[in-house]
Amino acid sequence: MSTALLLAIGGLTAVGLYLLTGRSLSRIVLGYSLLGHATVVALITAGGPAGWPPIAGQAAPEDMSNPLPQALTLTAIVISFGLTLFLLALARRQRTLSGDDLVEDDLEDRRIAAVESGPTEPEDPAAT
Amino acid sequence: MIFGLLVLHVAVCAVLACAGRRLGRSSLLVGAVPPALSALWGTARLGDGSAATADLTWVSGLDLAMTFRVDAFAGIMTLIVSGIGVLVFVYAFGYFGPGAARTGRFATTLLAFSTSMLGLVWADSVWTLFVFWELTSVTSFLLVGHKSTDTEVLVAARRALMVTAGGGLVLLAGLLLVTGAAGTTLISELAPVDGTAATVGAVLVMIAAATKSAQVPFHPWLPGAMVAPTPVSAYLHAATMVKAGVVLVAVAGPALSGIGAWKGCGLAFGAVSVLWGALGALRHRDAKLILAWGTISQLGMLITLFSVGTPTAVLAAVSLLVAHALFKGALFLIVGEIDVRAGTRHIDELGGLARSMPVTFAAATLAGLSMAGAPPLFGFVAKETAIKAALELDGPEAWIVGLGVIGGSVLTVAYTARFLVAVFGPGPETPLSARRHALSAPPAVLAVGGLAAFAALGPLDAVLGPAAVRLSGGAQVEHLHRWPGLEPALAVSAVVLVVGAIVGLAMGGRPGQAPADHAARWTDAAIDGTVALGRATVARVQHGSLPVYLVTMAAVATLAATPFLADISLDHLVGWHTPLQGVLAATVVGAAAALCFIGTRLGAGLALGAAGITVAALFVIHGAPDLALTQLLVEAAIVVGFVLAFGHLSRSFPMAGLRWRTVRIAVAGLGGAAVVIGLGAASGNPVGAPPLAELAAASVDEGGGSNIVNVILTDIRGLDTLGEVLVLATVALGVQALARAGAGREGSAS
Amino acid sequence: MIDGSAPMIRLGIRAAGPFAVVVGCYLLFAGHNNPGGGFAAGLVFGAILALRTIAGFHQPTYGISLVAVGIFVVAAVALMPLLWGDPLFDQQVLSVEAPLLGKIKTGSALPFDLGVAAIVVGTVIAALDGLGAAQFAAGAPADADRGERE
Repeated sequence: MSTALLLAIGGLTAVGLYLLTGRSLSRIVLGYSLLGHATVVALITAGGPAGWPPIAGQAAPEDMSNPLPQALTLTAIVISFGLTLFLLALARRQRTLSGDDLVEDDLEDRRIAAVESGPTEPEDPAAT
Repeated sequence: MIFGLLVLHVAVCAVLACAGRRLGRSSLLVGAVPPALSALWGTARLGDGSAATADLTWVSGLDLAMTFRVDAFAGIMTLIVSGIGVLVFVYAFGYFGPGAARTGRFATTLLAFSTSMLGLVWADSVWTLFVFWELTSVTSFLLVGHKSTDTEVLVAARRALMVTAGGGLVLLAGLLLVTGAAGTTLISELAPVDGTAATVGAVLVMIAAATKSAQVPFHPWLPGAMVAPTPVSAYLHAATMVKAGVVLVAVAGPALSGIGAWKGCGLAFGAVSVLWGALGALRHRDAKLILAWGTISQLGMLITLFSVGTPTAVLAAVSLLVAHALFKGALFLIVGEIDVRAGTRHIDELGGLARSMPVTFAAATLAGLSMAGAPPLFGFVAKETAIKAALELDGPEAWIVGLGVIGGSVLTVAYTARFLVAVFGPGPETPLSARRHALSAPPAVLAVGGLAAFAALGPLDAVLGPAAVRLSGGAQVEHLHRWPGLEPALAVSAVVLVVGAIVGLAMGGRPGQAPADHAARWTDAAIDGTVALGRATVARVQHGSLPVYLVTMAAVATLAATPFLADISLDHLVGWHTPLQGVLAATVVGAAAALCFIGTRLGAGLALGAAGITVAALFVIHGAPDLALTQLLVEAAIVVGFVLAFGHLSRSFPMAGLRWRTVRIAVAGLGGAAVVIGLGAASGNPVGAPPLAELAAASVDEGGGSNIVNVILTDIRGLDTLGEVLVLATVALGVQALARAGAGREGSAS
Repeated sequence: MIDGSAPMIRLGIRAAGPFAVVVGCYLLFAGHNNPGGGFAAGLVFGAILALRTIAGFHQPTYGISLVAVGIFVVAAVALMPLLWGDPLFDQQVLSVEAPLLGKIKTGSALPFDLGVAAIVVGTVIAALDGLGAAQFAAGAPADADRGERE
């Protein structure tokens, strides 16, 4: 396994997680995309070493890269593409409603928590 | 036949649930039909030596099946559950007057309980047993809470549910351990097991049995459950449900009795409960509570005898099980009749009932004598055998069992005498309402049953013997004797009767105060504490901030990777396959890192595109042209979408507070490290080389194409692709719906 | 922001159309034996449609209908082999000897890829609609972007 790819996956995951935990929907989309990149590279890396394109007749089978993880990865790319589109549409909807792209606190959750614990408001470390 | 009966029970249940309101009180008589048929089937099977089995497999690989097996012991339990069930349904018809509310609902729940209990005693698969075990807890909760307007009732019902259902969870854990050690999930195939897992499992199973059978210290739910209507108390809390724990100890006994901790736990629960329950029965002043505490004591004796597991002890336990169902069921029903007709069941307010209720008094005397173990009643035979079993033992076991059985018997005689004198003895005559036959007949039947069992001991022995053989692991079992002859056990029995009678009669008429029930308060406090802990936890973790939720989840997921740290093997790691790979890897991380610092949305979109294109380049040098092509096109589409959605938001990203940003950076860094650890550890376990030649050949021959990836997608794993395009279609619908929702709102606003 | 109304860009987008269609068709037909396939082809078609929409040549309509057609085709290809007793997704290979083109080999993977491409194009159109690309459509007044630009 290639250490360079391994570190790239780690780096993509870390940056993706950092962006995902922000309050701006646009950065959440960015973080989500980066996590998707990390996942597809991880799938390919786990699938074996590099090789020739897996096309029968153009290379000897033993020189090919592993086609099965590639098929899985293709599916993963498509699905993350679809979900990213959906996130973008959600973000646009949020902008239409609030004029901005910030994730609001879930007031319903907050209300439930307040009912359970009494009148004291729990501290929210993410509030700025 | 087994499934037929169960389906009949469920079907009648459904009918009652729908038509109960219209049928009113007569739904109780309809409800008596299925138990009557089960009881008939059980009676017809009594002589049959073989076991009836039925089995409905659900997931065979996981041993998930509804498996039933009605052997000699289950046959006896069937008679107890269904036979007494019929009497209780008839009795309930009298208990609830013509105008009583919600009798249809009561009949439905009572029949549901009866069904669950039958399933429990018939179960052979431990998972079937578990399911019905929990069903009895739930139906019991509903029945205890029948008068749901009263706070005391609700507290008692909650206590019963928490203790017995909590015990169910312990049972599940115990069964998992025991069946794991034994290698089978069928009770009939359980062979003796040992080992640490089996020991822990056995102790958990014993604890579960103790919760259900109200053993000290889990007992407070049983006296509390006396707020239920009396038919429920007689049926669930004397004759059947509380026996579930005993049944569990009995059927698991042959496999687990070799484990010291199993026997030790059982003896501890049993012996303490025998004595503490009997003392409670001597101190309480509510007739129903006296019987409930007596039940705790009797159940303790059953647990003690089954835990010892010697053939004589098992035979004594099976006999006592039957005897107890007869006499305790009768006594509860009698107290219920008194409660209905006199309007009270407090012993200080009752008097002169021996004269005003002669039939009831006679039944109570028969049942009471059987409970005390006096001849010529079946209770005598059971108690005699129990004393004999205690005298056969030696070592510390003998002392514990002896103390439990003999001490318990003395106290039992005492509280029986006190009960009979206090309830029926002299005093100012209590005014009574009119007599109802449906109320006085069922207890009389049960009380006479004790006498009949003694008279017909021969046939009964032929039924109880095989059950005892089955429950003692196939050992030789002695016969029951009507008159044991002059032997030590008889002398002990005589002393027990005399001492107990003196104590009981002396206490019978004495006025006094009912003891305060501290244990119940502690149990409720423990339940309240658990609920409060749950509320506090929710208030702490459910604060409504999405970023905090995500950081928490990521941090927890990161912890999952730490065990793999040791598995990373450097042998399988190389720096890079080609230098270009290293350069591209560095570029993609650089582009990603730049995203954190770029303030504008447009710039961020372009940096995202750069990262995506670099990933595509990585695919090219890996030998995955399909992926590279798709990645490039997807990336282009995403960047366009990103710019469309956010491009004109000119304001730069908001900044979070420094402290929170530090937490996020730390968790993100740990998350990245966790992924590296996980993948690095995975690289140490390479699987075999992929079957490339076969895949290439299959691709051309069967798929009709030479691009193997495409053939996998369209043919070999075509179903995956179908799922994938369905996801896309769902996205299209969702996006479109979001757009339309926006249009509608804006349209109405303008 | 892309200014889809600039004359040069409009001309460029118009000129790119036929090329994109050719590339997309190549990917669609080559996919079974060379890199490509329905998904890539659908994205190429989708990209050119997106550009044309932003340039104002089209309204982003019929996205969902296209998705529905695609699903129908894909499901039909998947289920058809069941009719003659073969397993799900069994490949039917068709070999035709054409007079000028030589031996043409194709199979049921082609309609499957066609269906996939239709779904992808439909999704892209739906996304364009969802992300507000309709504001660029021809005939829409320049300030009729429903007050969303800030």
